[in-house]
Amino acid sequence: MLKGIITLLVFQFLGECIVKLFDLLIPGPVIGMVLLLIFLMIRKSSFKSLDNAVFIHLRYLPMLFIPAAMGIVTQIDIISKEFWAIAIALFLGTIIALAFCAKLMDYLTIRQESKK
Amino acid sequence: MNIDALIQYISDSTLIWLILTLGSFKIGIIIYERFNKHTLLQPIIISYFIIITVLFITGVSYEEYFKGVEIIHFFLGPATVALALPLYNNLKHIKSLFLPIMITLVVAGVFSILIAVLLLWVLDANMPTILSMTTKSITAPIAIITSEQIGAIPSLAVGFVLITGIIGALLGTFIFKIIKIKYDTSKGFALGVVSHGIGTARAVEISEKAAAFSALAMGLSGILTAVFLPLIIQFLKG
Repeated sequence: MLKGIITLLVFQFLGECIVKLFDLLIPGPVIGMVLLLIFLMIRKSSFKSLDNAVFIHLRYLPMLFIPAAMGIVTQIDIISKEFWAIAIALFLGTIIALAFCAKLMDYLTIRQESKK
Repeated sequence: MNIDALIQYISDSTLIWLILTLGSFKIGIIIYERFNKHTLLQPIIISYFIIITVLFITGVSYEEYFKGVEIIHFFLGPATVALALPLYNNLKHIKSLFLPIMITLVVAGVFSILIAVLLLWVLDANMPTILSMTTKSITAPIAIITSEQIGAIPSLAVGFVLITGIIGALLGTFIFKIIKIKYDTSKGFALGVVSHGIGTARAVEISEKAAAFSALAMGLSGILTAVFLPLIIQFLKG
């Protein structure tokens, strides 16, 4: 599994280096993710050690957001002041976006199927 | 026995915060599984409440807590890179519906950000809140690093990400029934674009095809948002 972990870290490192070199605004790990994706597409398969390393990173993925997420305790002011705006935007925003996205995809799929 | 030294050690040690964080998440998983993986009982939500309670009782500041668990935060980087593998495994599905996927990804991705921002703007919310809302539909690790990049508040951003995921997962199938969505691929794709990982967990229950399209949508929209959002926001600010 060590090889897999090294692979993840090296791709993250490459991503961060590219961001610094070209003054990009994209987060380094995202570049690393794209590079690893391209690497896998060229290689045409993954390998066991990488599969294992990815598994342990993604298995408890939500746990990794806890340190950042707990910062919410410092944002009580914003939340209490804008509670209704936030609640409405999240609730309506999600429902409308979900309906729009599914309907658009359905419409485009039906069009493609009917052309065949 | 040196009680003073013991108390001193416990209050200085960062180990206790690591144990609390990992332990509360494990408790979260146990509760989540006991209640048949109910969407509202996400392990992280349970973990949230346990840790907030402990911080509140002990009076420990967020900065102090964060220092103790910084090592967990570090793993967001490699975990984001790791997302390439599930995306790669689902990439084969892209060929069958290439144009519908690409058009929906861009149009619906932009739409879902705009509608939330517009609602907040109409309801008179402040800039930090609006910025933190822009990453609400992408997977949390990418949302955290992207929100740091655009000057939003990462903790608010994660909160919005989680709630968006939960609302989508809870109401998705109901909405799809009302507006008569025909294909499972459309349902999965919408859940992935809007409700990222939590939506994908829900899509697994619809069908295998829906799950694959949801994972695909989640990966692609995460990349697209992380690449273009900082550029657009810099342009608007500039």
